[in-house]
Amino acid sequence: MGWLAFGLVAWALGWWINSRLSHRPRTRATGLLVPVTFGVTVVVIWECLVRGLSISPVLLPAPTAIAATFAKSIHILWADFVQTALKGALTGYIMGCGAAFLTAIAIDRFPFLQRGLLPVGNFVAALPIIGMAPILVMWFGFDWQSKAAVVVVMVFFPMLVNTVQGLSDTDAMQRDLMRTYAAGYWQMLLKLRLPAAMPFIFNGLKIATTLALIGAIVAEFFGSPIKGMGFRISTSVGQLALDLVWAEIVVAAIAGSGFYGAVALLEKAVTFWHPSQRSRA
Amino acid sequence: MKRLTGLFSLAALTGLAGMAQAADDLTLQLKWVTQAQFAGYYVALDKGFYEEEDLNVTIKPGGPDIAPTQVIAGGGADVTVEWMPAALSAREKGLPLVNIAQPFKSSGMMLTCLKETGVTGPDDFPGRTLGVWFFGNEFPFLSWMSQLGIPTDGGAEGVTVLKQGFNVDPLLQKQADCISTMTYNEYWQVIDAGISADDLVTFKYEDQGVATLEDGLYVLEDKLSDPAEVDKLTRFVRASMKGWKWAEENPEEAAMIVLDNDATGAQTEEHQIRMMTEVAKLTAGSNGALDPEDYERTVQSLLSGGSDPVISAHPGDGAWTHAISDAALN
Repeated sequence: MGWLAFGLVAWALGWWINSRLSHRPRTRATGLLVPVTFGVTVVVIWECLVRGLSISPVLLPAPTAIAATFAKSIHILWADFVQTALKGALTGYIMGCGAAFLTAIAIDRFPFLQRGLLPVGNFVAALPIIGMAPILVMWFGFDWQSKAAVVVVMVFFPMLVNTVQGLSDTDAMQRDLMRTYAAGYWQMLLKLRLPAAMPFIFNGLKIATTLALIGAIVAEFFGSPIKGMGFRISTSVGQLALDLVWAEIVVAAIAGSGFYGAVALLEKAVTFWHPSQRSRA
Repeated sequence: MKRLTGLFSLAALTGLAGMAQAADDLTLQLKWVTQAQFAGYYVALDKGFYEEEDLNVTIKPGGPDIAPTQVIAGGGADVTVEWMPAALSAREKGLPLVNIAQPFKSSGMMLTCLKETGVTGPDDFPGRTLGVWFFGNEFPFLSWMSQLGIPTDGGAEGVTVLKQGFNVDPLLQKQADCISTMTYNEYWQVIDAGISADDLVTFKYEDQGVATLEDGLYVLEDKLSDPAEVDKLTRFVRASMKGWKWAEENPEEAAMIVLDNDATGAQTEEHQIRMMTEVAKLTAGSNGALDPEDYERTVQSLLSGGSDPVISAHPGDGAWTHAISDAALN
């Protein structure tokens, strides 16, 4: 009962703090404090609910138990991260986005490819990953190669569509200007159209980061060596080790946010000229 | 208004009539998909043994990604069929499962290798890739490897473990040197795939001295303190064991009953009849009551797992009870 009361107090306190903070002028500090306060309040309420209502650890572990397991299993979590996020997701991401980028340039150069390849890409993108993953595991084996293959299939189409769209996003005035400078196809591509396409390309890259991690984790449900985030999550559920499942989820969240954040930072540097990257005057 | 009252009284009457005939509901969670491994329960359902005991039993099939302990933890079933290592491990994790009956006396678990890999005995395991099911089925294997002192995280000194799915593909596609098989199921899938028995080397857990008790009936501890629940479970065990003994004596009809209940249509007559004959060898010798000596042997086997035992402490006598089986069989 005491825990539930404490949880209510924590909730009220968090609400009040955030309410006061959001009414102040927006600075870097308040911009950071508000979500942190929110997150901390949620975690505290979670802990109080689990303890107050005596929820079985087999159904929902408390955050303190999850933190303890996280600290205890750091080597397992690191090995899983390397297997899934680095070997599976990252290699698939690089291969898939690279292939999509080159295909987009080919499509741009040869319009007949656009009419042929885009519908096929659309079809491949619509294939459910749950159906593709076992087939790719059968073709490429149990290890990270099949996971990379799944990721390639998942990220190819979004990246392709975004890049094709970006490459066509220059207006007639800009292209005419380049023509007056006697720019050839490749010069126009490298100096005008690719830089202009960067916002779209990065849009595709950011979408692909989340898809890559999801694809790598889900593909592991269908066959894997005994390491990997998807493997650990599914088998720990079977062993009723829910605290390890949640610790793995935390790793996945950190990996996904980190990956997305890294691409977003790169975008900020490359597309500094775009209105979305310029700060308010 | 008149129509409404008429409707209400009709509903009340049917409700009352329904209540008068209502049998007790009970949900059974199976450990794997519908197959002759669970013939006893399907026979009891089809032949009316459950109905005779005034029980309305729903049988939920399991599968490769369903952990029966999870289902019962979430309230999805009243009784579950589970293997003792998984149940004891769950008990240690905080889920108070209790064994109320043990239809399977012997273990049917084996490790089957292709002869061409050169594996002739457990000494050849280090450096190999072995396939194992998870979701509760990995414990006998982990216990065996632990007793042999072989680490399971790969390398030249240990074994590389592959998470096996619903089929025997890892062996057929040579992705694993050996895979886990049951005497009544996967072993025959390998034979059916065209590999002759001469090309296989098989290690039975019973022969290796690492057998653990398999299919048993488990419930959550709090059910045993409710007399109405205890009565329901007693009737359930009685009818189920009647179903098992009938299935042992009539394997072909039992296989057909299982096939009738298979919603997926994936099972074949030949496979199920063969499975039923093999399963009958495992249930023979048990009348449903857990033999405390078998329990002790399983616990000791699980505890002797070197640096990584499946359970860390003796579960004690709270993990099983004769209360239900005594009442059911006497």
